[in-house]
Amino acid sequence: MHDITRALGDKVSEQEIERELSSYLNVYRVSLDTAKRSIVKKHGGNPATLAVGVSKTLRELVPGEQSVNLLVRIVSVNEKDVTVEGETKRILYGILGDPTTTIPFTAWEPLPVTLAKGDVVRVQNAYSKEYRGQVQVNFGFRTVVAKEAADALPEYKPGTGALYVGKPTPVRVVDLREGASNVQVTARILSVERREVEVDGTPKAVFSGVLADETGKTQFSAWKDFGLADGEAIRIDGAYVKTWRGIPQISFDERATITRLKPDLLPPLDVLSASPRMWIEDLAERGGAADVTVRGILIDLREGSGLVYRCPECRRVLRKGVCRLHGEVKGEPDLRVKAVLDDGSGALTAVFDRELTEALLDKTLDACIEAARNAMSTDVVRDELADVLVAQPIEVRGDVTSDDYGLMMIVASAKMLKVDVQTEAREMLEGLEGSA
Amino acid sequence: MREVAWRLFASEYNDASLELDGGGERAPSYVVTPLGAKVNRVFVVGVITDVENVGSDAQPMWRARISDPTGTFHVYAGQYQPEAAATLSKLKPPVFGAIVGKSRVYSPESGAVYTSIRPERVKAVDETVRDYWILEACRSLQKRLDAMAEAQKMDPLTVEALVKIGVKAAIADGIVQAVSHYGKVDLSRYTAMLAEGLRYLLPEYREPVGLGEPAPEPAPAAHEEPASEPDESEATVLEIIATLDKDGKGAPWEGILEAATSRRVPKDALEESINSLLDKGLIYEPILGRMKKI
Repeated sequence: MHDITRALGDKVSEQEIERELSSYLNVYRVSLDTAKRSIVKKHGGNPATLAVGVSKTLRELVPGEQSVNLLVRIVSVNEKDVTVEGETKRILYGILGDPTTTIPFTAWEPLPVTLAKGDVVRVQNAYSKEYRGQVQVNFGFRTVVAKEAADALPEYKPGTGALYVGKPTPVRVVDLREGASNVQVTARILSVERREVEVDGTPKAVFSGVLADETGKTQFSAWKDFGLADGEAIRIDGAYVKTWRGIPQISFDERATITRLKPDLLPPLDVLSASPRMWIEDLAERGGAADVTVRGILIDLREGSGLVYRCPECRRVLRKGVCRLHGEVKGEPDLRVKAVLDDGSGALTAVFDRELTEALLDKTLDACIEAARNAMSTDVVRDELADVLVAQPIEVRGDVTSDDYGLMMIVASAKMLKVDVQTEAREMLEGLEGSA
Repeated sequence: MREVAWRLFASEYNDASLELDGGGERAPSYVVTPLGAKVNRVFVVGVITDVENVGSDAQPMWRARISDPTGTFHVYAGQYQPEAAATLSKLKPPVFGAIVGKSRVYSPESGAVYTSIRPERVKAVDETVRDYWILEACRSLQKRLDAMAEAQKMDPLTVEALVKIGVKAAIADGIVQAVSHYGKVDLSRYTAMLAEGLRYLLPEYREPVGLGEPAPEPAPAAHEEPASEPDESEATVLEIIATLDKDGKGAPWEGILEAATSRRVPKDALEESINSLLDKGLIYEPILGRMKKI
C-alpha cells in the first residue's frame, strides 16, 4: 500500500489505491506483487520502483541477492569519487546495521535523500555481493531509499540475543559450527587483548583473542570483561558461534559463565599453540578454521598469479590497468600466487603474498619486474612460478575461510615438502604384510 | 566447491565401468571405480610413453599414454584443451609427466567401457614427483580397501552405516554405488596392486630385467592384462631391442630382424612378439621403424 503510493507519487489518492488493491486481491485473486505492478502501471507509474524483493534482516543476507528489502540504521557513511568507464561519479559507502548485525554498503547512484550517521532507512530492491569473504549490500538504479523515524528500529547491541534455555552442550573446538548457540567449551586462552570498537556509534570494549583445546584453535570475542588472561584454562558455559570473515569463531557475553580450571587440565600453552594438521575435507565440513596446517600438492595456478598491479586506493588487482572501483589508475606492482592446493581429500585456493612468493621463487619483486620488462610480458613470471610450484608437494599454514566459491587459505608460512618416500612405503608394506 | 583430484592407479581406473551422470546441465559427472572412488577429476603422475596426433592437422587431437606401476592411462586433448594440447604436443617421450584432468568414459558398444582423461593441465616433472605420487596413490588405495572391506561385512549396506564407522559421506556414497553396480569385488586383486605399488618404490624389490643394462627399471605391467611377463621369444626380442638401442633413439627394425634371424627367431614369430610387447606396454615405437624398451 505504502509502496504503491510512493511509486505513484501524489497522482492517485490513497482511497483509490486501496479500493483497486482490494479488488485485485479479493476479486481477481492475483498475487500481491502482480496487483501492485498492475496498479502502478495503470496509473502511469514505474513498476521497477516497487519493492518486489523479499524483506530480510542483515544477518539473513547471503551473497547474490537480486532484490532485497531492508530496514536498517546508517552506522557510518562516506563519499568518494570513482572513475567508471572513463566517467567520474560520486558514490557513497559505509556500514549498515540492524538488530542482527552490521554489513558494508555502497550506493552506486545518487540518492534522493541525504544519509547521515544514525538515520534509519527503508531500502528496497537492493542487491548483495561478496567481497573479501563478507556480504556487501549495493544500492543500484532500481534501489529505493527512504528515511524512517529513528525509533522504527532498535539500537544494535551485539550479543544481546535471547536468553538461553536449558543446559549448555559441550563442544570441542574442531566441532564448532556457524549458528550453534548455548555451547560449552573447555579451552586454554592462548592470547587475549582488549579492543575498543564502535557499535552503532557507541564505543564498546571487546576482549578478543585465540583459544584452543586438543582439537584446534579458534578466535573468540568476549563482549563482557571476564578478566581473561593469557594461558588460563577455562570452561565457558553459554557461548555462541558466529562466522566472522569466513571463519567460525566463538563469542560470549553476559549470558555466559566462566569457570577457572586447574591449569594442568589441558595440554600446555606451547602444545596448544601448534597449528594442527587438517585434511581439506574436514575444513570444508567445518566451514573454515583459524591457523591450520595442510599438506597437499599445488595442482594448478589460478588466473592472476605472478606479477600483478594493484589499485593504490583499494589494493584490488587491476585488469588491463583498470580498477573495478576506481577506474584507470597508476598501478603498484606486487607479487602473489593464487594456487589450487589439493590434498586428495579436497581442494582449496591458497593465496601467497609477495614475501612468500619471493621466497618460493627465490627472486625479488624487482627482479620479476625486470624479467617481465625484458620479455615484454608478465607471463614469464607466471610461467616460472608454474615451473617451480605446480605438481609439487607443499606444506602451508594459515587461516582458512569459507564462502560460496569454496575454501581459501591466506598462507602465513609455507615450505616445499621433502618426503622420504622409501621409508613411508616400507612402513605401509610392512603393515600390509603383517595384516595379511 | 571444486572437485577433488583423485590419486588412483591406472588399473583401478580402467576397471571402472560405472558412469554417474550428474543430471542437469552443470552438474558434474563421475566415474565410479570398483572400490568406490567417485572420480570427476584425477591427478596422475607417470611415464608419458607416447604422444600422437590422432586427429587431423587442422583439428588436432592429441592422444597420450601415461603409465604407472599398474597400467596405462589414456589421455585425449583436443581444441577445447588448448593449453594441455600444446604442452602434450611439445613433449618428447618418454618423460615423467603430471596431468590434472577430468574423468571420461567412452562406451562404443554395449558392454565395452573405456575410461580416459581429458587433461586440464600437463607438466613435465622429475622422478621424485612421480615417486611421491605413487605413495599418495597407495595411501588413497589403502583407504578405499579398508572402507570397502568394512562395507562388504555390512548387511544392509547404507551410507549412514558407513558414516557411523568414520567413512566420509562423499566416499560412503561412492562405495554404496560401487557395491550395487559391481557386486562383491575381489579385494585381493587390489591388495596385490597396493603391494605392487609400494614395492615399486623400494630398491630391495627391484629385480634386474634384460641383460647388460646398468640401471634396470622394473617393467611396468601391461594395461588390461595382469599376466604381463614376456614369454621366451618375447624376452629374446626385448633383449635384442635393449642391446641395439645404443643412441637412446630406439633400435632400428633392420637391426632387430638381423639379430633375431641370427638367434633363430623367424620373422613371423618376431613380428608377433613385437606386437605382443607393444600391447603389453613393454616397448614402444618412438619413431616409425624404431623400437624402444620402456
